[in-house]
Amino acid sequence: MSFLRELYVVFWKEMLLWINNPMLPVVRALVFPMMWIVIFGSAFGGEVNHIPLAVVAGDAGELSAEYISVLNTGTTLDIKSTNLATAEKMLKSREVYGVLYIPEDFSSKLIAGERVSVVLSLDETTPQIASAIVAHVTSVTQRFSKDIALAGDRVVVEKNTLFGRGIEYLDYLAPGVVMMTILFSAFFSGGMNLILDREFGTLKMLMVSPISRDAIILGKIFAGVVQSITSGIVALIVAILMGVHLKSGATGIAMIILLMFIAGFGFIGMSTAIGTRITELEQLMVMMMVIIMPMWFLSGGLYPLESMPDWMRPLAIVNPMTYATDAARAIMIRGIIWESLVLDLLIISTFAVAMFLIGSYSFKKTLGGVK
Amino acid sequence: MEIIETHELTKEFNGLVAVDRVTFSVKRGEIFGFLGPNGAGKTTTINMLTTLLLPTSGRAYISGFDVVREAAQVRRRIGLVPQEIVLEGDLTARQNLLFHGMLYGMSRREVEEKIPELLELVGLRERADSKVRTFSGGMKRRLELVKVLVHEPEVIFLDEPTIGLDPQTRRKIWEYIQILNRERDVTIFLTTHYMEEADYLCDRICIIDHGKILDIDTPRKLKDRIGEGDIIEVEVSGKGERFAEMLAKECGCQIKKVEGNSITVSAKRGEYALKEIFSLADRLGVEVASISVREPTLEDVFIHYTGRSIREETTAGGSMMKYLARRLKH
Ligand SMILES: Nc1ncnc2c1ncn2[C@@H]1O[C@H](COP(=O)(O)OP(=O)(O)O)[C@@H](O)[C@H]1O
Ligand SMILES: [Mg+2]
Repeated sequence: MSFLRELYVVFWKEMLLWINNPMLPVVRALVFPMMWIVIFGSAFGGEVNHIPLAVVAGDAGELSAEYISVLNTGTTLDIKSTNLATAEKMLKSREVYGVLYIPEDFSSKLIAGERVSVVLSLDETTPQIASAIVAHVTSVTQRFSKDIALAGDRVVVEKNTLFGRGIEYLDYLAPGVVMMTILFSAFFSGGMNLILDREFGTLKMLMVSPISRDAIILGKIFAGVVQSITSGIVALIVAILMGVHLKSGATGIAMIILLMFIAGFGFIGMSTAIGTRITELEQLMVMMMVIIMPMWFLSGGLYPLESMPDWMRPLAIVNPMTYATDAARAIMIRGIIWESLVLDLLIISTFAVAMFLIGSYSFKKTLGGVK
Repeated sequence: MEIIETHELTKEFNGLVAVDRVTFSVKRGEIFGFLGPNGAGKTTTINMLTTLLLPTSGRAYISGFDVVREAAQVRRRIGLVPQEIVLEGDLTARQNLLFHGMLYGMSRREVEEKIPELLELVGLRERADSKVRTFSGGMKRRLELVKVLVHEPEVIFLDEPTIGLDPQTRRKIWEYIQILNRERDVTIFLTTHYMEEADYLCDRICIIDHGKILDIDTPRKLKDRIGEGDIIEVEVSGKGERFAEMLAKECGCQIKKVEGNSITVSAKRGEYALKEIFSLADRLGVEVASISVREPTLEDVFIHYTGRSIREETTAGGSMMKYLARRLKH
């Protein structure tokens, strides 16, 4: 029997089992995310801090410098002064969430007692952050205007959103939920499946058969990936039906599925590695609590990372879900802008390859029996 | 070469010797049984013979192929029905067989062609398209028995094939096992801790305890080996000690056990000894409260070798009694 045929047989059985019970796997994968949305989605409301904002001072005058220093008070914003071209690049690659442009005639107009507007271009992908920027800039500007010109309305903030219509919380939440569905589904299709296989001895059936050991491992992993992606696609469809905004049409969907595929491999690899090292279902539930749940909460899927306390941020930075969610959000809301995607995709792919290797190696190591 | 041959096969688990230098061979076409209590090393032996477990030392061959170095060849020739049921409950009977056949490189068509006939063999044809989770324990066992036949193995391994089944279902499974063996020409290696099962099914039995083989032979010869004809259990109304003494002296019976007024003896010819017992009771002026004569069972053989009963909960093999215990009023 050829290796591909063997692979197919193992894969086919796993899929058959999965399909024979059509509602369970998808519902199982969807229940948790939906529950979290309902329970926590509305309850989260941390303060956002240290939001990077580029400031382009077209006017080198004293008043302009003073305005910038006033903007810089407090911990809400991290001001980065730069030129227009760099600022736009930074906005695209998500180094900053907005650009504040101070016009050349800022000082002269103020001195002349005329009204002047500063232009705030915003990345509204993250609505909480956009509104925090607007709130801060508006109030600071008003105060500045009063101090300098003795009138609150002399300096006006002109808003300019970058990605079309206003983004709502649901739009913000959806990409994370899609990724989370894949994460959870992988947990069931990978780790839990392995433990049940051992518990019920169904793995023995494969082990006593002449089928190659690699086909057993890869067949199960591939089936797991396909199953998790399917759950992810169902979540995506649900999101679209709920009216979630999808920026880049067919290409975007293709990209999202590619992303799901990469992330699916990573998550299945991870959950396989866990599943092979554990014998009890209870232990797996503990793993769920200490690994899978935090991966979801610390991913920026529910609320921006900027709202996390500083000590927690490193956890988000080492969390692969952060990048999966960020990439999904970029594709779904911002459209395919490579500058903001490359890093995410690179990290996710590295994670996927590493986890696939670790998972299949660990599976092989613990398979037992005569090789 | 015999279909199964082992030579000093041994398995240690961190110092615990689960199977201890076991050497035996199984002839093509026979039903061979491993009989021993829980923890004797039966499953461990099966696992080594079916390539699921690497032996610590020693060798084993299936059809001449080494279970370690030629595992792929071995796997193609064997079928395993493990102690726990390993069917996929969410698949139908048909799908389970289909998957099994495909694992062994058969095409979907090839398997499909065999399915009706195989299911017929164990009376499950009408249930071909029901999910296995809806089956009773006995039905699942039957399905497993034919599942391993799909790829036409030369030998099948049945690990405790009737464990947890009620006596009636057990009998049925026994019949099916015999059918497979006779009609399909498969060699059967089974393990059990039910001596009736070993006695009823096996052409030859290997008695194993603490990983060591105690004896291997046909059930008949094993029972003859302990030397005597029949086992008589008698309960008298009094003078038990004295009664036993006289029995040994005058009737040529061998005392096995005396507990108060309950006496177990063995006698070359049970029917003859019965008369002697009644006349002895008359002479001593006691009554025979109950009496039974039975053939020695494998249980007696096991006790003979180990001084222990094979099962924790000791129940005399009721179904094996030659004469059922009758209350005889004098
Ligand atoms: N994987 C294992 N690790 C450690 N000890 C084991 C393992 N499998 C079996 N044993 C031990 O080996 C002995 C024989 O077990 P087993 O072959 O299952 O007995 P049986 O099938 O005759 O009841 C028992 O003492 C059991 O505890
Ligand atoms: Mg056992």
